Amino acid sequence: MRFFAAFALFVLWLVLSASYNVLHMATGAVVASMVVWLSPTAAPHLRQFSWWAALMYVPWLIVRILKSGFHVSRLILDPALPIAPELIQHKTKLSSDGELVVLGNSITLTPGTITVEVAPGELIVHALDAPSCVELKSGLFDERVGRLFSVKEDQK
Amino acid sequence: MTWLAIFLIVLGLFFLVVGSIGMLRLPDVFSRAHALSLTDSLGAVLVLAGLAVYEGFSMNFLRILVVLVLVYLLNPVISHATIRAAYRSGLRPTNKESK
Repeated sequence: MRFFAAFALFVLWLVLSASYNVLHMATGAVVASMVVWLSPTAAPHLRQFSWWAALMYVPWLIVRILKSGFHVSRLILDPALPIAPELIQHKTKLSSDGELVVLGNSITLTPGTITVEVAPGELIVHALDAPSCVELKSGLFDERVGRLFSVKEDQK
Repeated sequence: MTWLAIFLIVLGLFFLVVGSIGMLRLPDVFSRAHALSLTDSLGAVLVLAGLAVYEGFSMNFLRILVVLVLVYLLNPVISHATIRAAYRSGLRPTNKESK
């Protein structure tokens, strides 16, 4: 796991520096392994992270962003500006840091909904109008993010 | 390939323009942040994706990919921080219907 992290950092270095003489590549290798060596061990929630689920999650999220993007564009371009902003208290059974970060980020990325406050088990979300937050209220986001970290049922 | 790039960039520009119009038309800081998320997560990203497609697979393609991932990770954090600061300092949405 740590070797993988060091390798990922090294690849990032290669992509960003784009100079491939011995000096630069050696510097990159040394820096990457130093960073991994100095940083604390990987967070426990990353151990149950499912890369396959993440691969399925990203396209799903992009489709969602596109759909609500067109919805919000229609709202903005409508001469009557038919918005009805509201604050929603969104109860969720997700509680670990990793899940909350992914859930909050996904909500904010989707046009029409923004995470205002985050606490374990509860989020305050600002929605531009009622149709924007239908999918959030139905718990679809929670389910997908939960699958990402393969939560067990007893973790409620 | 070029046509796909043109399509993506024009779509991105559309969202950038709509986001700017929204920034002017919407009433308060909360709803303006929605216009911001429109420019960020669709406008900028579609333009970058169009550039990546135009570039083809090369070093610059990988760099644009890194920027794309960073945009998707960092922009929601920034707009969340802004909105939470506004909320905590006592601002509330204009026609609020707390549920």
